[in-house]
Amino acid sequence: MASDSIQTVVTTWYPIAAGTDLPYRHTYHGQLLGRELAVWRADDDYVNVWENRCLHRGVRLSIGINDGAELRCQYHGWRYANRTAGCTYIPAHPADAPARAICNRTYPAVERYGLVFSTLDGPTEPPVVDAFDEREPFPLRGVEVCAPAELVREALRTHEFQPNDRIEGNGAHTTVVVADGEALVVTSVDGDSATSAAFFVQPVDAMACVIRGVLDTEPAPAQRSSVLRHHNALLCRLRDDVEVLAGRLPAPEPIEDVFEDAPTSPSITDVAMPRRAPTLRVQVARKWSVGQDIAGFELEPLGAQLPTFQPGAHIDVHLPNGLVRQYSLINAPGELQTYTIGVKREPNSRGGSECLHDTVREGDVLAISEPRNNFPLRRDAVRTLLIAGGIGVTPLLSMARVLHHGQLPYELHVFAQSSDHVAFGEVMAGLEGSVITHLGLTPEETIVEIGDVLGPHAEANHAYICGPGPMLDAGRRVAADAGWPDEAVHFEYFANTTTIDHTSSFEVALARSAMTLPVAAGETILDVLRANGVDVPSSCEQGACGTCAVAVLEGRPDHQDVYLNESERRAGTRMMTCVSRANSARLVLDI
Amino acid sequence: MIKLYDFELSANCYKQRLLLSMLEVPYESIPVDFFPGWEHKSDAFKKINPLGHIPVIDDAGYVLRDAHAILVYLAAKYDATGQWYPTGDAELLGETAQWLLFAEGTTNTASAARLHDSLDYPFDIQACRTGAHRLFRVLDEHLWFRESEELDWVCSAGHPTIADLALFPDVALAGEGGITCQQYPALRRWMDRVKRIPGFTLMPGIFPAGPARQ
Repeated sequence: MASDSIQTVVTTWYPIAAGTDLPYRHTYHGQLLGRELAVWRADDDYVNVWENRCLHRGVRLSIGINDGAELRCQYHGWRYANRTAGCTYIPAHPADAPARAICNRTYPAVERYGLVFSTLDGPTEPPVVDAFDEREPFPLRGVEVCAPAELVREALRTHEFQPNDRIEGNGAHTTVVVADGEALVVTSVDGDSATSAAFFVQPVDAMACVIRGVLDTEPAPAQRSSVLRHHNALLCRLRDDVEVLAGRLPAPEPIEDVFEDAPTSPSITDVAMPRRAPTLRVQVARKWSVGQDIAGFELEPLGAQLPTFQPGAHIDVHLPNGLVRQYSLINAPGELQTYTIGVKREPNSRGGSECLHDTVREGDVLAISEPRNNFPLRRDAVRTLLIAGGIGVTPLLSMARVLHHGQLPYELHVFAQSSDHVAFGEVMAGLEGSVITHLGLTPEETIVEIGDVLGPHAEANHAYICGPGPMLDAGRRVAADAGWPDEAVHFEYFANTTTIDHTSSFEVALARSAMTLPVAAGETILDVLRANGVDVPSSCEQGACGTCAVAVLEGRPDHQDVYLNESERRAGTRMMTCVSRANSARLVLDI
Repeated sequence: MIKLYDFELSANCYKQRLLLSMLEVPYESIPVDFFPGWEHKSDAFKKINPLGHIPVIDDAGYVLRDAHAILVYLAAKYDATGQWYPTGDAELLGETAQWLLFAEGTTNTASAARLHDSLDYPFDIQACRTGAHRLFRVLDEHLWFRESEELDWVCSAGHPTIADLALFPDVALAGEGGITCQQYPALRRWMDRVKRIPGFTLMPGIFPAGPARQ
């Protein structure tokens, strides 16, 4: 090997762990330049490098539980998603979706040469050791030294070792090949045997560092253990010498870590969601049949990381024909490389499902909104029933996958015309027996069956029902008759099929914006707000999804949506501004 | 039933609770007011153990003291598999004894630092911490090479032994004595494995591990 071909690229990346330090379901406690890191490998092999504190109370996340998809804080159980570090669940608020703003600080990670590299401040690439080109490098045991990194780098310049094939010998001559990069590259030659090694020094803080060595070739299996022990013994001796030396020198100034403010929100769940904006561009990576008249779409982000979602969440899909439609994500927890939705071809399509089925193809680019969750899943129930009618299974699949992964008790009941009409059979197969299908029932039989599935209500039982309107209306009645309280039965409607009465006129006072606006017959509150420059989130704009809910401070709302349940309607403290109106001359809204 | 003279916050008593739970042996915990009552130094307790230490067990009149001796007795008597105290394998038995003696060292350093910090024991805290780090370095290196040979436990067997249980509480509670395990990644991984042994129980200061990947 010509020595002049060996170079390293200078960067601000450092190794923070060995690949073998990150087995599945373990959380590694790392540190770089004074900053503590919680490092964990998800089941999809993504390496997460996060600031080591929970956004709630600052407890170290390195003692948290890596469940393969999410990291759970040991203190109050806040959960953070693989890849994004966005909060997915807060046990103290089991019925609410955490705000999008609750997201931990992440750092990049690249696995290279059997090490995990990261950086606190640069989008540049991790170091490249030219000597390792086309080879399979062999990482050594990392050795922590209680001394400044500079002293260790200096000591490594005269470090000597035997090449792999002459590990028992003592005649090696070691020369430094590269000393000006992040890695010190040295070559040891003994007779006709040669081994190159790259030594990276990871600065933990001012008074501690880790030597992470990598050999250019993997020794023969019989030599593996003796090579590892040879290098470990030599590096430990170097460590002991440098620690003695460091003890005689004045201690360096400690690294003052500057913590930026955690990106928390003013409130845990009450954060305004973006209005109906197509903020993300995605490409259709896969379109395939997932059931009769049902197409699956796997949507891949263009460049950016997809945002965190919670089970039950939906996205707005902006279609090439100008229509906007809502579809639930069926994703498993921590699955954030793509979003997957299922679309049923509606016989009376107004152009949405038809366009997705007939026009949109693999490779097409679509605009979507960030995920919103108006159908949040509690994870504290002792029994969770997921009841799906037809394509209504999509949000419930995502819920089932979270409950399945967390080994929580649940049943997924799927009502469909025939087994061909059951969507995403391959996903259901992964749920291992917790799926019960009810095929070919008449509407009357379906109602009876839902009653049997629900049974009488017991403490901490929750049911989630999604399907066609008539099925949901019947489900409401059956559940109420069986003694299920409103707060234990959760619904998601596809659409609001009630005829909206737009004839009333009234005025709305906006308590926070200090405005009073008239709403004439034929206008919606949402239209009037927007026309007057008040930004309000919305999604379906037909009273089904719950995105445009606002708090009512005074007046009697005229509810025309299908999102609120009976007790919420009676309470009159929230309303959907897209369809609901007033039964009083004036409404005071908390906007 | 076995009586265990016990204190909830004692690392050495926790070692017995772990083994009894893993062996599914029922026992009665007799609480000793170790702190702040100093009951283990009372005349009454010194009749049970003249050294004034806990744990002590009383197994139908057979009284035994010293944490690591009790582990030997319980495993030899109640473990039908013969794995926890492997008397049938001379080499493995030797290793087990070696690491039990090593655990005397971690008790006298890491656990002593914890007694100093949390219960005001008058120990030389710097000496305790330095000593603990010296031992943890050795144990971390040992476990790293065990892993490189695809072995999970302190002794060279495919199953845990009482040596793992003798060491685990001293290591896992070391943070309460100001001794971080951050720089001992192999020790931290081994702690996850101990926490996943069927029958593992918690005590204050010990956090559970999640399930292993199926």
